[in-house]
Amino acid sequence: MKIRQHIRSVAIAAALMTSAAVASAQDKEPIRFGYCLDISKSYSFISPQVAQAVQDLSIYTNDNGGIEGHPVEIIVRDHGNEPQRGVECYEQLKREGVFTFYFLSTPVTNAVLPRAMKDGTILMQSFAGRGDAVDGEVFEWVFPAGPTYWQQAANDVAFIKDQLGGDLSDAKIGFIYLDYPFGQEPIEILKTLAEKEGFALELYPVPLPGTDQSGAWSRVRRDQPDYVISWILAGGHVVASREMRRNRFPIDRYLSVNWMNEVDIRNIGEQEAKGILRGTNVAGGQDIPIVKAILDTYYANGKGSGPEANVRDVYYNMGLALHSVALEAARLGIQQHGAPLTPESMKAGYESIVDFDADGLMAPITITPSDHGGGGKTRVEQWDGETWVPLTDWSAEYTDIVWEVVKENSSKYEQ
Amino acid sequence: MFYRLSGVYHTSYASDSRIFKVPADRNLAVFFLLFGLAAPFIVPSIYLNSYMLPWLIWTAAALGLNLVTGWAGQLHLGYAAVMAVGAYSAVHAARFGVPWEFALIIGGLASSVIGSLFAFAALRVKGLYLALTTLAMQFIMDWVLHHSPTVTGGSHASLQSPTLALLGQPITSDAGFYYVAFGWCVLVTIFMLNLKRTGLGRALVAVREKDYAAAILGVNSFYYKILAFAASSFIAGVSGALLVATFFFLATPEQFSVAVSIQALAMVIVGGLGSIIGSYFGVALILLVPGVINNLVAAIAHTLGAQVNVETLAHIPNAAYGALIVIILLIEPLGLGKLYGNIREYLMVWPFDQFRK
Repeated sequence: MKIRQHIRSVAIAAALMTSAAVASAQDKEPIRFGYCLDISKSYSFISPQVAQAVQDLSIYTNDNGGIEGHPVEIIVRDHGNEPQRGVECYEQLKREGVFTFYFLSTPVTNAVLPRAMKDGTILMQSFAGRGDAVDGEVFEWVFPAGPTYWQQAANDVAFIKDQLGGDLSDAKIGFIYLDYPFGQEPIEILKTLAEKEGFALELYPVPLPGTDQSGAWSRVRRDQPDYVISWILAGGHVVASREMRRNRFPIDRYLSVNWMNEVDIRNIGEQEAKGILRGTNVAGGQDIPIVKAILDTYYANGKGSGPEANVRDVYYNMGLALHSVALEAARLGIQQHGAPLTPESMKAGYESIVDFDADGLMAPITITPSDHGGGGKTRVEQWDGETWVPLTDWSAEYTDIVWEVVKENSSKYEQ
Repeated sequence: MFYRLSGVYHTSYASDSRIFKVPADRNLAVFFLLFGLAAPFIVPSIYLNSYMLPWLIWTAAALGLNLVTGWAGQLHLGYAAVMAVGAYSAVHAARFGVPWEFALIIGGLASSVIGSLFAFAALRVKGLYLALTTLAMQFIMDWVLHHSPTVTGGSHASLQSPTLALLGQPITSDAGFYYVAFGWCVLVTIFMLNLKRTGLGRALVAVREKDYAAAILGVNSFYYKILAFAASSFIAGVSGALLVATFFFLATPEQFSVAVSIQALAMVIVGGLGSIIGSYFGVALILLVPGVINNLVAAIAHTLGAQVNVETLAHIPNAAYGALIVIILLIEPLGLGKLYGNIREYLMVWPFDQFRK
């Protein structure tokens, strides 16, 4: 009897102690992230999925002990793709103590970049913004973890070389792109590679917003390129697919930039889109541990942060990847320099990320003080009618040529 | 009562053509001038540098557009393109080593030259046709910016602006940037206030009302149209350059895209064509209110503890903002400036408004 009482009191004491420990963990200062996104204008085809992913992952992290005991808090605001409102969002959140920001809009990121550099705040810049920001020696506070468009294009060429039996000397590669800075960006690197590998490069500019591509594709029919690399967004892919059918160009020779998702596939037609290719640094589909965990824990019980359809979208995975890199940086920062997290320790955390792939979610990245991109690995995935199937392993090719371009551009920023 | 008219009478032309005929207007202007000067000390820095500063620069720009659209009556849908010319010329000049004072003037003059080209279109076509011609020029400018890396600064098309320095003093603080914007806005406002009572202003109004009637009166509409475009473009150019130098710190083509042109025209129309105080209101409504409503809706949702989807949360402010513009233009089609005018007129004789009848 006595022993039982003793055991019970010990058990109660232990329970009290653990609950006290949990309480103290929650009392720790939250780690805050400012997500000022364009949810209502040009980028609204991707930002809802990204916002939802960031929210889900934050809840999941908090439910599993937070970052070294610190809860994660995210603030999502809309800036409507207007630089002025993005700056306002940045200035406001900065005063509220946020020092890690993400804007998901090239114009807004560019407008905030000088401020972040001056203030010493972390500017996450994956998937948007200037490519040369991977140069950590110039852009100390900018972290575009992931490939630049240059690197992605170079990897695309390497993939094509592989498909054509390792020789490009009599190959012809077409490049169809939206005729403004986003689309024009890879041209330089493609020209350099064409010279090096000896393939013929055909450029097919398409005027904004990409709904009129008939001229470009009739030229494709005449030129008969082996592959067409496409730097077109969203609805542009649907137009392209129609033109490909009209001009008898096989859809499995169409290699898209990472901006193509399930919505575009459905608009093309899930079966019609079979074979279409997409370069990416984030794995598509739901067969990924973290996506499965989120689906099972929250969406199966109706507790997700938004509609489940958004989860079954590659842009959701991109949001997860982006946020998980930031969380990993925060974790490493606290581990190395202790709490509370500061911009400096967060930066140190970022720069000590080694071979991080978020458990199969993305290409492994290793961020160093000089390379804030993390290596620029991508792979090519193919739509098989139901989901994305990887055709290659994560890899980064022609990195020396890409870095030449990066350095050339980043040196202009310093001037 | 507030705008007391008792004792205000004019015995000479000079007194009749004063800027502020009613003492209350002058006092109000002085009050706001003093408030503007003291703002860095009393306004929290967040409001100073992310609300007031862009507001003042855009007001200066809107006043410039008002000169050509409100006074001279020429619809202009390519205003952002003209601002871009000024911004890029000034930043390039400053990067080349030209002192900022001259760089700003170079920017203004470059804008004047390009902006005057719009005037040549205005000599041939009017109204909606002119609007389309200027819109076309905006698209040409967009294309040029997107296809000339030497102008826009490489494949990322962003051109870093050197540190602003005026009179040998580098300007880096929030207060410093604010004063530059404030000074420019006051300068443009004084110019516009005076424009009303000069021969130039009257000639512009004559051209606006009917250009061939103006010609019969001896007003050379060709000359005054070009002058209006050149003057307004100068203001646009310097405003664009200051926007980059004090707010964005780098120039990108998106900051001067066609959407911005339409926004600028909206500022002038919602504010009131030909109204100076209206330009201030119009800019505040178009530029700042979306952000304010956004924060407001976010705060309300937060206090109510409502689990609102981020997407819904982002679209509610847009709907509210759109409705606000419609309501304002329904209440007073002549814009916010006229709305203010109505209130002022009512208060002129209040509480003795029976005397007006």
